[in-house]
Amino acid sequence: MLSCENVSFRYTRSGNDVLRGLSLELEQGQIGIVLGKNGSGKTTLFKNILGIHDPKGGKIRLDGKNLQKISRRERAQRIAYVPQDIRFGDLSVFDSVLLGRISHFGLQPSREDYIAVEKILMDMGLESFAQRSVEALSGGERQKIAIARAMAQEPQLMVFDEPTGNLDIANEQLIIQEAKKLAKEKNISILSSLHDLNQALYFGDKFFFLKDGVVKYAGGSEIVNEEVIRDVFDIDVRIVEIDGQKVILGGYNK
Amino acid sequence: MNNLMETKKKQRRNLLIIIMMLSAVLVLGIVCLFVGSSNMTVADVVRAVLGQGSMAQNRIVWNIRMPRVLAAIVAGAGLAIAGLIMQTMLNNPMASPSTLGVSNAAVFGANLSIIAFAGGFLSTGSNVSNFDVGANPFATSAVAFIFSTVSILLILGLCTLRAFSPNVVVLSGMAVGALWNAATTFLQFFATDVGLSAAVVWSFGDLGRATYTTVGIMFAVVAASVLFFMLMAWKYNALLSGEATAKTMGIRVERLRFVSLLLASVITAVCVSFLGVIGFVGIICPHVMKKVMGQDHRISIPATALSGSLLLLIADTLSRSLGSGSALPVGAITSLLGAPFFIAIIFTGRGKGRC
Repeated sequence: MLSCENVSFRYTRSGNDVLRGLSLELEQGQIGIVLGKNGSGKTTLFKNILGIHDPKGGKIRLDGKNLQKISRRERAQRIAYVPQDIRFGDLSVFDSVLLGRISHFGLQPSREDYIAVEKILMDMGLESFAQRSVEALSGGERQKIAIARAMAQEPQLMVFDEPTGNLDIANEQLIIQEAKKLAKEKNISILSSLHDLNQALYFGDKFFFLKDGVVKYAGGSEIVNEEVIRDVFDIDVRIVEIDGQKVILGGYNK
Repeated sequence: MNNLMETKKKQRRNLLIIIMMLSAVLVLGIVCLFVGSSNMTVADVVRAVLGQGSMAQNRIVWNIRMPRVLAAIVAGAGLAIAGLIMQTMLNNPMASPSTLGVSNAAVFGANLSIIAFAGGFLSTGSNVSNFDVGANPFATSAVAFIFSTVSILLILGLCTLRAFSPNVVVLSGMAVGALWNAATTFLQFFATDVGLSAAVVWSFGDLGRATYTTVGIMFAVVAASVLFFMLMAWKYNALLSGEATAKTMGIRVERLRFVSLLLASVITAVCVSFLGVIGFVGIICPHVMKKVMGQDHRISIPATALSGSLLLLIADTLSRSLGSGSALPVGAITSLLGAPFFIAIIFTGRGKGRC
């Protein structure tokens, strides 16, 4: 279980707090979606969880273990990151995914690492890409490689920063389904930010609405309602149900 | 297991390329022993190599040409690899071995030694008669090295305050480099004509200053550093994904950056202190090798090192054969040779527009 207790963070000593005593909890195997306006602190929260920044106050724990007390390498074996800006240089797909094993192998990969990567590529249907350069792939394919690399870390928790930000609608679907499948099959928790509320409803089990550096609303899909969205995003929406699925319509300024 | 086999095949191909480059360095190194301004025939050189030539010939081959060739191989590899590591760690295609102002500090140190203390190692070209009996040949190099080290420690110390952000490192390097330049200008302004010309001649890179001892010291530093860089190849590859992502893969980026920059700067400090400023090797070789062989550091590290040796060997051979009697500054030859080739590589071929 991931738990953030009273986490606060600011970028510069004299700057304002971006996170102001933020708390959240995510059970193992759950998909948590972090929602909020631009600048509400989503990426900052992720960077604190990932250890790119250290919180100035509060604690972040995974299965009860304080993440600030473990080494970066140990943290990488528990938490993996699928960034928004995906770069691999001109490495091949195989080597890019093998890089995900670096927290396990340290300096030189062993035969087990090669086998682990081979298996991930097979599971994700990427084996025919293996020797191609990542540079030559499309946005959706690169995103899949980034997920495969994160999987190679064998994490308990995967953090996605806007996973569908640069993708067309077909690739959006593909990536979300892939991530959902992994979470359920391998019991991996996912924490993701998403802008599209309908996608969020389809993808997530639990929702965290961020406002002014704290989680203002948290819960299952029942908390995604017109009042909450109005409060967090300052827009009016209408929510209808189609085939038992909530659909959020339109957004008109108050 | 297809991919495993493919990967092994690629590794074998890379190994083959490295072996071929290594052979080219050895062959060219041997050829360079035969080239020089003393009109020795091939037979003379062979006899001298076997120690059966005249005293002068034996001395030319063993005391002048051999250390020169070895210095070209070692310093070429060192400067090229230092450039590659600087570019990788600072994520900046314009970074070079002297990014931390190391060369400027060395030049200041040498100028101080020559102008203010009238000491040191003033040999220019392959002319051994220039040794001043009273002067310690290491004096100028030692002062140059001390100042480079002070400069490295100053900048790395400063950058620790700002978590080694690449831009902070590059900009502090430029600022500190400018300081040393200014100090050198002041020194030169007050220098005598003789002192000034000796100091300027020192700053031209010259492999003729190499001795077996200096080559030995350079070799120890370069070999240890290359070994370290090779061991870190996967970590450097992780940095291709960006600093934040590399951190989430478990890399302690700040520590890696500190140690890598320190080693790259020490290589530069040692080479510049012993040989003077040899520009461009550290920029052109990493770029050409990345374009030709790709960015994977497992291959680009050894390939860049060997390409540096090749470039410096060729440049030094030309500098000795074009100068009719005295060797031209090798630093100018590397730039003359390298710049047009570099431009051609940037505008053509694989990964066009990528640096």
